[in-house]
Amino acid sequence: MSPVACLLRPRWLQFRNAGRSQTSRGLRSLLLILLGALFWTGAYLLTHRVLAYFRSVPEIGDILAHKLLSMVLVTFLVLLLFSAVLTCLAKLYLSRDLPLVHSLPVRGEQIFLARWIESTADSAWMVMLYTLPVLVAYGQVYEAGFLFYCSILLALLPLCLIASVLAALAVMLAVILLPASRIRSIFVFLGLSTTIALYLAFRMLQPERLVNPETSATVLLYLQNLATPASPLLPSTWAFDALRSALDGRWQEALFHAGLAWSAALFLTLLNVQVARRLYFKGYSRSQAAAVRLFRGASPAWMRLLDPLPGPWRALVGKEFKTFWRDQTQWSQLFLLAALVVIYLYNFSVLPLQRSPMQTLYLQNLLSFLNMALAAFVLTAISARFAFPSVSVEGSAFWIVRCAPISLRAFLWIKFGTYLLPLLVLAETLVVATNRLLHVTPFMMGLSTVTLLFITPAIVGLAVGLGAAYPDFAAENPTQAVTGFGGLIFMILSAAYIGAVTVLEAGPVYTLFMSGMKSRSLSGWQMVWVVGSFALVAALSALTLLLPMRFGERRLASEATRSGSHDP
Amino acid sequence: MLRIEHLTKRYGRIPVVEDVSLSLAPGEIFGFIGPNGAGKTTTIRMIAGLLAPSAGRVRVGGIDMMREPQRAKRMIGLVPDRPYLYEKLTGREFLRFTTDIYGVPADRFPERAERLLGIFSLEERANELIEAYSHGMKQRLIMAAAMLHEPPLLVVDEPMVGLDPRGIKRVRELFRELAAGGTAIFMSTHTLSLAEDLCHRIGIIHRGRLLATGSMAELTRSASLEREGLEAIFLLLTREDEMEGPP
Repeated sequence: MSPVACLLRPRWLQFRNAGRSQTSRGLRSLLLILLGALFWTGAYLLTHRVLAYFRSVPEIGDILAHKLLSMVLVTFLVLLLFSAVLTCLAKLYLSRDLPLVHSLPVRGEQIFLARWIESTADSAWMVMLYTLPVLVAYGQVYEAGFLFYCSILLALLPLCLIASVLAALAVMLAVILLPASRIRSIFVFLGLSTTIALYLAFRMLQPERLVNPETSATVLLYLQNLATPASPLLPSTWAFDALRSALDGRWQEALFHAGLAWSAALFLTLLNVQVARRLYFKGYSRSQAAAVRLFRGASPAWMRLLDPLPGPWRALVGKEFKTFWRDQTQWSQLFLLAALVVIYLYNFSVLPLQRSPMQTLYLQNLLSFLNMALAAFVLTAISARFAFPSVSVEGSAFWIVRCAPISLRAFLWIKFGTYLLPLLVLAETLVVATNRLLHVTPFMMGLSTVTLLFITPAIVGLAVGLGAAYPDFAAENPTQAVTGFGGLIFMILSAAYIGAVTVLEAGPVYTLFMSGMKSRSLSGWQMVWVVGSFALVAALSALTLLLPMRFGERRLASEATRSGSHDP
Repeated sequence: MLRIEHLTKRYGRIPVVEDVSLSLAPGEIFGFIGPNGAGKTTTIRMIAGLLAPSAGRVRVGGIDMMREPQRAKRMIGLVPDRPYLYEKLTGREFLRFTTDIYGVPADRFPERAERLLGIFSLEERANELIEAYSHGMKQRLIMAAAMLHEPPLLVVDEPMVGLDPRGIKRVRELFRELAAGGTAIFMSTHTLSLAEDLCHRIGIIHRGRLLATGSMAELTRSASLEREGLEAIFLLLTREDEMEGPP
C-alpha cells in the first residue's frame, strides 16, 4: 500500500468503526438523514418551481435561468473556498494527530497529499450535496438527457479541487509569512478577509437598486446586464459554460469547457504538491514553536468589574472572558459577527419605504414586527456559535469543574449568565437601531424591545441547556460541537420557538396597532385575547429557558458520573 | 479523614472496582498500587466525586460524597495523572480561579499563591499562558492548585509523572511536610520505591479487588515472604495475571 493510502486508511477505519460501535446513535443518524433529505427535497422543489416559472416567461426566462445558474456556481465556488481554507488550516497545521503523523517515516509531501485529499473531501461534500438538487432541477425543467447529469459531476468536481488547491496554497503561504508560533492569527486574517469580501460583494450587488426602478435606464440595458457573462478566468465560468452547453445538448462544447476546468485542476494539484514539497514541513515546524509570552503581568483591569460577584461566578465568568479574548480563533467569528450586524443595519437603511405603494406607517411597523423574528434568528445563529459550545469548550479540562465544590446546576447558570448579557445587548441594539431607521411608532419600539427581553434568555437557555445535554468534549474547535445532533435539535427548537412567538403576537399586535391608528378602543374579548397571547409568550419563553437547562443538567450529570468519560 | 465502604463500580456487567473498603486517618499517606487496569483511577474518580459508584459509599471527613458532593469536594485536592488545564489562562490566573471556586477568602490568595509558586518553582513563569508550559510545569501547577485551598485530603493519581528529579524530590518532601501537618494523602502510583519510601500504609488492588492493605511490615508478613520488598510482594500478589494471560 502506498504511504498516502496508508495515511488515509485510519480515517476510513474510524468512519467504519464509528458506524459499528455507536449503535445508540442509529436513531440520531436516521433523524439527521431524514432532515437532510427534507432539505434536499425542499431545495429541489423550490428551484424547480422558480425555473418552471422562468421558462414560462418568453425571451427573458432563459436569460434569467442562466443568470441564476451562473450565480449558483459563483456562490458554490466561494463557499467551497471558504470551507476549504478552514479545513486545510485545521487538517494541515492544527490537528491533534499531526505530531504522530510527522513522526512516521513518510515524506512531507506525502503527508501533505494525504491531508489535502482528506481536507478536499471534508470541505466539499456538503456543499456539493446541497448544490445537486438545484442542478437536478435544471435537468428536469430543461428536459436534459442522462449525459447532463454526468456533466454535473464532470463540472463540479474540478471546482472542488481548484478551491481546495487555492485554499491549501493560501494557507501554506500564510503560515510561512506570519511570525512563527502565531499560526492562529490566520484566523484573524481569514475573518478580516471574509468581512471585506462580504462588504465588497454586497456593495457591488447594490440590492437596493432592484427595488428602485428609477435607477434602471431601460429594459434593454437591464437585459444586457443580465446576459453579460462572468469573467472567463473564473473557474465557475468554465463549469457554467459546461453545464449550459450540456443543458442545450451541445456535448462537444460541454466537454471542452469541462476539460478546461479539469486541466486547470490537475495543473494546480501538481503545483500544489511541488509547493508543499518546499513549504509544508517548514511551515508545520514553525507552527509548533512554543506559544509567545503574550500576557505578562496582572489580569486585565476590566476584570476588576467582576470583583463584586460571588467566588464561583467570578472564577468561571472571568475564565470564560479571558479564554475568549485570548483565543484568536474566536476573533474571526467576531469579525464575521460585525459584518453581519453592519449588513443587517445597512439593509434597513436603504429600504425605499417612501416609494412603496403600501401605506408607509403600516409597512414600517410590519417590517419592524418581522424584524423582531429576524433578529431572533440572528440571535439563534450567534448562540449556536458561542453559547451552544460553551460546555463543550471546557474539553479535557472539564474535570476541574467536576471536582470543584460547585454543582452542575450552578455551573450551567453561570454559563447562561455569561452569555446572556452580551447577547441581550446585541439583540436589543439590533432591534432598536433598525426600528430607529424605520421610524416606527413608540408602541412597536416598546413591543420589540420587551419581546426580545423574553426571547433572548429563552434562546440562550436553549443553547446552553442543549449544549450541555449533547456536549462534544473532544471537539478540536467550538464550531464542531454545534454540527452534531444536539446542534441540529437546538436549531429546530429555536426556529419553532421563534415561529410560535411570532404567531402568538401577530394577531394581537395587528389589532392593537390598527386600533391605535384608527383611535378605536378594544372590546372586552379583544383585551382578553391580547393579554392571553402575551401571557402565553411569557410562559413559552420561561419553559424554553427552564426545561432545556434542567434537561442539560440532568443529562450532563448522569453521563459524566455514569461513564466518567469526561474525567482525567 | 477518608472512609470507603464496599465501593463497587461496574460498567454494564463488567466489574471494574469490587467491594473495596478502606480508611485513612489525618496525617496518613496511603499508597494505592496495582497493575494497569486494576481499578486505581476508577477508585480515585469515585473518591473525588467524578464518578458515581454502582454500590458502596465514600465519606470525606464524615461527609457522604454522593449526598453532599459540594461540601465533600471542598475538603479534597485532586491531582490527576494527565494535566489538562485552561490553556488560555496564565498560571497565576489559574490559581486565582481555583481560589475563587473553592471559596478561599480573596485576601489570602497573594500569600498562598506566591508560597506555592515558589515551592513548585513556577514564580518566574506564573504570568505566562499555560499553553506555553511543559508537561512537568503543568503537573506542578495542578499540584499547587490542589493545595491552594489547604484541603485536609489530597488525592493524587501518579504524582511523579512528568516531573524531573528535582521536582520528584521536592514533591516527596512536600508530601511528608503535609502529612506531618495533618493532611491525609491518598496516592496511586506505579513507582513502587516511592510508595515504599513514603507511604505509611499500602493497598494492593488487582482486578478491581483490594487484595491486601497494611504497612510494609504487615504486607511482608501476610505474603509470607522472607525478605522485605514491595516489588516482591506486588509481583507475588498479582502474578495470577501473568499466568492466566494469553501466551
